[in-house]
Amino acid sequence: MTRDITVDDATAKRLFEEMLRIDVFEEETKARFGEGEIPGFVHLSGGHEGSHVGMGAAMREDDWLAVGGARLIGQYIAKGVPLTEIMAELYGRVGGSNKGYGGQMHVADVDRKLYGHAATIGSGQNPAVGLALAEEMQGTDNVAVTTIGDGGTSRGSFHTALVFASYWDLPVVFVIENNEWAISTPSTSLSPDHLSDYGKPHKLPTESVDGSDVEAVYHAVSEAIDRARDGGGPTVIESRVARLVPHFEGDKQTYRDSEEYERLKAEKDPIANYRERLLDAGVLTEADVEELTAEILAEVEEAVEFARESPEPNPEAAYENVYQLPLYGQGE
Amino acid sequence: MTREITYVEAIAEALDEELARDDDVVLFGEDVEEFGGNFGETEGLYEKHGRDRVRNTPLSEIGIAGMALGAAVGGMRPVAELQFADFAATAGDEVFNQIPKQPYVSGGRLTAPLTIFAPSGAGIGAGAQHSQSVHSWLGNVPGWVVVTATTPYDAKGLFKSAIRDDNPVFFLPHKFLSEQRGEVPEEEYTLPLGEAAVEVEGEDVTVVATQLMFHRAKEAAEQVDADVEIVNPRTFAPLDTETIAASVRKTGRLVVVDETVERYGTQGHIANEVVESDFFSLDAPPKTIGVKDTPIPLSPVLEQEVLPSADRIAAGIESLF
Ligand SMILES: Cc1ncc(C[n+]2csc(CCOP(=O)(O)OP(=O)(O)O)c2C)c(N)n1
Repeated sequence: MTRDITVDDATAKRLFEEMLRIDVFEEETKARFGEGEIPGFVHLSGGHEGSHVGMGAAMREDDWLAVGGARLIGQYIAKGVPLTEIMAELYGRVGGSNKGYGGQMHVADVDRKLYGHAATIGSGQNPAVGLALAEEMQGTDNVAVTTIGDGGTSRGSFHTALVFASYWDLPVVFVIENNEWAISTPSTSLSPDHLSDYGKPHKLPTESVDGSDVEAVYHAVSEAIDRARDGGGPTVIESRVARLVPHFEGDKQTYRDSEEYERLKAEKDPIANYRERLLDAGVLTEADVEELTAEILAEVEEAVEFARESPEPNPEAAYENVYQLPLYGQGE
Repeated sequence: MTREITYVEAIAEALDEELARDDDVVLFGEDVEEFGGNFGETEGLYEKHGRDRVRNTPLSEIGIAGMALGAAVGGMRPVAELQFADFAATAGDEVFNQIPKQPYVSGGRLTAPLTIFAPSGAGIGAGAQHSQSVHSWLGNVPGWVVVTATTPYDAKGLFKSAIRDDNPVFFLPHKFLSEQRGEVPEEEYTLPLGEAAVEVEGEDVTVVATQLMFHRAKEAAEQVDADVEIVNPRTFAPLDTETIAASVRKTGRLVVVDETVERYGTQGHIANEVVESDFFSLDAPPKTIGVKDTPIPLSPVLEQEVLPSADRIAAGIESLF
């Protein structure tokens, strides 16, 4: 892995800060879930932070992110959803981005162009193609980036999305976060050398990058986005990461080799690696890192406070939002 | 001889025994090997029966369901797991168009003796796409045998029968009941498909309920000033209308409680069957209670709001007197 810093200092700092924000937020999420404050499931991003942040930083605010895979929270953060709204949504509270209707797997924020996760893994890619179509038809040069895990690429729906995107040459960037596991099923048993090869039959540009290197992802996704923006159509990128966390909180990971897992933790932690690189290059000092960490801790604490103080939804709210009323032609 | 085991242990036992009994049985699905299934339903099976018989699949319900159909037509007796019943929709064509219709459109020349099993139901705060009860969807497609389980006894006996049946069977345990304990015979047994069970005898009103709703109906029965008979349909398609109707002929009143949504849910169908066959034995209009017509919300507060509660069931019973 390169030790050089390939982006300007401001970008480097931003990349680091965003990764740290995900990490601190998720550590707190884990603790809150452990205390029973957060209902449902929690899937954490450990090991994916560089991939999420590199991708997020490559996007413009007006580009769509259609979140897939199973590691979601880091992507919501990378897309710029306020921590308060994410945390309150995890709590299922009124102050959440989805007012408590969505939860961890469904954070959506149309105003920020975040298309929420399709919790049936692999069902998010076709909507992403539709979003890109809408942008194109409205004459913008915005693109849609859509993520999926290695597991999700096995679904026909993923391949269907590649077919549709290339059929119309739409501005879509498919990012496959290959962390080698779909819960307990290894991606090493899947045939392609790189999962980005799935783009080959469709004659799409493909690339495989070290997803634990935030700058590598940033460059690869930037290039693909530029191409899409310029009318060059879809790209398929494999971002190879390590899953440094259980599938979800509570998974005992009996199917994983523990030595290999420890090795990955030592070698493939995108935050620790980047921190070291930035310190070596003199972009950040230890004191900067400490200060930054303290700031983010305070931000996350505030998010938890916000979530706790946010009211439970009124039971009556369960009946809202099922339909936009009146239906067309009603009351005439 | 009986002993107490959990609902999910009953499921694992059924699988274990059927894998041991019949070499044609093959179990596959996502994470059924070491991981042991999301709820522990396949724990230990892979270690015992090996990778040929217990197989992890890649993540695709289309693949799982389609492969089960081919394997069944080809002579195996596949048991395929979907991690959540909601995901039946992700294999929509296989589930709604292919599997239940192949035996019919072939004029009976082929059979598809497969079982798909998938935890259904709400109550664990899993949100709108992991909490549905789908037996009304499936019951709507002739060709599927649709089975639910209410107790560990049900879960084991009905699952074993499902695996042995020559039809495609959709077997739906309830995820909220996973840790429920109950008596299960020591010795081998099966329960008949297509037959309802009168679980609690009573004189004044018939309540039809399965899965979590059965347990809530029992609570409701304690609250009301009436002698309640509770019937567990067990199989929703084809439905044992006769056992339900016979109960209504005895009690004169009918309440149907189910976790499918009220709109086009199973409740209406069951009530209709009784209205058509036994209208004059009814002393009051049948009452139907289900999930309010919304997706299942995430917040536990909202979730409990839309699910029938024991109170709502009790009020439904009382409204008939
Ligand atoms: C259609 C569908 N099938 C199964 C699941 C259950 N499930 C949730 S996450 C997951 C594994 C996802 O693996 P991958 O796509 O590689 O993402 P990763 O966990 O590696 O980030 C599974 C099987 C689901 N949510 N949706």
